[in-house]
Amino acid sequence: MSGWRFWVLLGVACAVCCLPLLSNNNYLLQVLFRIALFGGLGLAWNLVGGYAGQLSLGHVAFFGMGAYGLAIFTAHHVPMWISLLLAALVSTLIGGVIGKIVFRLRGPYFTLATIAFAEVLRLGAANLQITGGAIGLSTPSLFTGEAFWKLFYLSAIVLAVLSFLANYWTSRSRFGYYLMAIREDEDTASAVGIDTANYKLRSLLISAYLTALAGAFYGSAFQFIVPDSVLTIDISVQIAIIAMLGGAGTLFGPIVGALLLVSASELFKNEFGERHLLIYGTLIVLVVLFLPEGIVGSLQQHVRRRRKPPASSAASALGRAEVQGVAEQ
Amino acid sequence: MTTFLQACLDGLLIGALYALIGMGLALIFGVMRIVNFAHGAFLMLGMYASFLMFDRYQINPYYGFLPAGILLFIFGYLVYKLLIQPIRNRSEFMQILMTIGIDLILIDLAQLTFGADYHQANIDLVNRSLHAGPFTINAASLLSFGLAAVFIVGLQQFVMRSRPGQALRATAQNRDVAPLMGINVIRIQGLSFALGIAFAGIAGGLLLPALYLFPSVGEDYTLKAFVIVVLGGMGSIEGAAIGGLVLGVAESLTSTYIGNQWALAIDFVLFLLVLSLKPSGIFGRQRA
Amino acid sequence: MRSKILAAFAILASATLCAGQNTIRIGIITSVTGSQAAFGEAHKNGYAIALDQINAKGGVLGKKIELDIYDDQSKPDQAVQGVSKLVDQDHVPVLIGAYSSENTKAIINPVIQHQVPLLIPTATADNVMDSKSPWIFRICAGANDYAKKTIEFLQHNGSPKTMAIVYEKTNFGQANMQAMKDEATKAGIKLVAVEQYEAKSPDYRAVLRRVKAANPDVIYFCSYLLDATTLMRQSREVDINPRYYTSSGTGFAAAEFPTPKGAGKDAEYTFSVSQWLADAPWPGSKEFDAEYVKRFGSHPAYHAMQAYESLLVVAQAINAAKSLEPAKIRDAIRSTNLKTSAFGPVKFDANGQNQHVVLITQVQGGNYHLVYPPEVADSKPIIPAPKWSERK
Repeated sequence: MSGWRFWVLLGVACAVCCLPLLSNNNYLLQVLFRIALFGGLGLAWNLVGGYAGQLSLGHVAFFGMGAYGLAIFTAHHVPMWISLLLAALVSTLIGGVIGKIVFRLRGPYFTLATIAFAEVLRLGAANLQITGGAIGLSTPSLFTGEAFWKLFYLSAIVLAVLSFLANYWTSRSRFGYYLMAIREDEDTASAVGIDTANYKLRSLLISAYLTALAGAFYGSAFQFIVPDSVLTIDISVQIAIIAMLGGAGTLFGPIVGALLLVSASELFKNEFGERHLLIYGTLIVLVVLFLPEGIVGSLQQHVRRRRKPPASSAASALGRAEVQGVAEQ
Repeated sequence: MTTFLQACLDGLLIGALYALIGMGLALIFGVMRIVNFAHGAFLMLGMYASFLMFDRYQINPYYGFLPAGILLFIFGYLVYKLLIQPIRNRSEFMQILMTIGIDLILIDLAQLTFGADYHQANIDLVNRSLHAGPFTINAASLLSFGLAAVFIVGLQQFVMRSRPGQALRATAQNRDVAPLMGINVIRIQGLSFALGIAFAGIAGGLLLPALYLFPSVGEDYTLKAFVIVVLGGMGSIEGAAIGGLVLGVAESLTSTYIGNQWALAIDFVLFLLVLSLKPSGIFGRQRA
Repeated sequence: MRSKILAAFAILASATLCAGQNTIRIGIITSVTGSQAAFGEAHKNGYAIALDQINAKGGVLGKKIELDIYDDQSKPDQAVQGVSKLVDQDHVPVLIGAYSSENTKAIINPVIQHQVPLLIPTATADNVMDSKSPWIFRICAGANDYAKKTIEFLQHNGSPKTMAIVYEKTNFGQANMQAMKDEATKAGIKLVAVEQYEAKSPDYRAVLRRVKAANPDVIYFCSYLLDATTLMRQSREVDINPRYYTSSGTGFAAAEFPTPKGAGKDAEYTFSVSQWLADAPWPGSKEFDAEYVKRFGSHPAYHAMQAYESLLVVAQAINAAKSLEPAKIRDAIRSTNLKTSAFGPVKFDANGQNQHVVLITQVQGGNYHLVYPPEVADSKPIIPAPKWSERK
């Protein structure tokens, strides 16, 4: 999708997203706020996890640092909006430090290291005075008044658009191609002369910044944060799942994932009460079993297969059968 | 000095149980390269199985852990056949996602079946202590340690000496070449998964007298298991055993000298230290 | 076919509408899942018993009441969302909840913004009542009251000079530790050890050994359900012998605590603050306990009683207000003046806090006995706690 067509479509999408602003149902706006925010979070994660192929399960670290940063800086009399930016910048900086350590590792080691960092932050937040310990902190509301949730929803849309643009730009740039090369085969990419450490770090920095902003908005919307609400591993998992189920490495995957998972989660909670986690888990299992490339990814593959001429599809099918046959011995 | 040694002693006792949990995960990771996020949930199931036997039939968990282990072996194999085997060749992402999904399902099923309320198995042995000079040893912990040690050594011997064990090691070393040696990789992977889960179940049974039982009790142990596996070297069973002991002692020392609330933090600090300095772990091969 | 579906849909829709018009929905926020699920369950059970009792008596304003329960998953942000769902979407006239102090604190502002009365059943942290808003009511006593009562009791019974506080690393634990720290310092008692522990880890020996080394006259535990059992067991193992074992309730006041299922003999002689006991001299108390055992197979902790009582108070207030307008219900709650109930007398002060009496109990002979205040006491306190080596 190129040039002006893209921008028109983006504009239309934004307009559609702004429709809920006409409603006065605060509950609906809150749920939509969550969907939009997690859409943005999924897109931000997609840079590291989707394009670069680095499965991070510690992104909540940035989320939480954004929220706590906002709360702590404002408590020290820094004006709210500057606190917001400062919190995001500090999170990005710390993200850089974490990245330098963590990117030396590969595969599951990398994932586990990201989990470890996030957990250390959570324990720190739960035990230190400045973060209020288990009692938590109040976060300032960036917006006040009647239009409270409308403004937060709008902010979430803006953040999601920013994350989307970051994805869009990445997917069409050399930077993005390098990341995808790293994803496909890091050693070869390195051998070919790509500075893998550098590019991975860059993707993390952008991702961290966007994630931290989202975290700050989240904390501000709910006005009160505790380690268990903004620093737990299940938020990291949720972000990763949204991107992966939707389709990691695709442009629209995280959006679809967020729409589906966040609304499903809320719906299940209201309809099924206690059983909602069971249904959520089953949903995940089913998608993994039957839609391996995520929803958008599977759709793309389906479309691609339809387009291929019959001869080569037979050949590729044969090829796949061969490989599977050996493995199945 | 006594304090120090007492802390080490307490750490070793709990460390043996950690070792069991870690070894189970090491087995699964070594042979299948799957990061099993549901490991703690299986531990929790082992605990519930032991608890049911204790509550209904008055079977002491120190016997009950065996049937719990066997039940979990079977259950683990079923889970493997239904959910893991079909996605063996998928990306790591998807495998991790799958185990996360299984984790959520198991926890919620446990809550629906048993309720969210906490349970406890109160055994007299837990209240007895032995005294050796200036040191106190909790009788139940000592028994757990002994039983765990038997299984640790047993597993190690199994992996080293028996044919299936050798097949396990071969598959762990090189999954693609193993079939050429006549190894049925699918079956071996099923065995390793089932065995790993069984060990989680056994550890659960042995932990029952000491812990509170509730649906999410296993979650912390999943993370601990990861730390242990990395400490010892991914895929190394002996490493995981040592890693478990090291973790136990480290936690105990931290608890004694710095504060109980930081004990969990030391897990991660150790983890990150090892990852930064020697990613292949204490016993691992140089393969980060 | 399509017409059949439409018809079915219409019937369903009208049935729901009818149902909606014939029942009154009361909004409840609690932790059905998550780390606090065990207590959420206690809440749900308490509400269920109260619900049936109220509906059996004809309900409220001539209609049956229905509970609209929102699961906050033990997270404060979800609790906030719950307020919106219950008030904006479901239009409930009154809210009860949440469970934990942090979740309750989080919903205070949204509740005030939505102008709906909130009755807090269980949260004891004192910052929860900081807003002093006319919309907020609390039926249980706060952490401050626990500390005050314990100090009062200690000063009337031996006046110990040194104290150690051992508390759980949660909002509950920290809030109670802080409250006791303040009260003890005011009373001139020296704090020789203040130790935090991780709630879910079962090994407290290191902490207990440090406390033993500090040699306090009295230990104040701030613990949940099962830590209490382990703490007492390990206290025996480590052989600490203060003159008094005291606590801020919950774990040390749980029904199972003095039984073999809990700490058994190790629970003996421990003091605890309590909001409620099955044996309390309040009408309906024993009946609630019996009903709970009949339905759920175990004895209720006081969280269940607080939930039960809250729903009863709210129903009674709606009846008194003769209206479903939130403001009128709020005023009716404010003027509640129950001379007695299963939870004792209920009367809210100017700040919305119920003046609930805090009791001090001691485990004697495997049962809880009321030992303070003297007006309701049924036994004398046994002090000092005999040394472990001297106990049978």
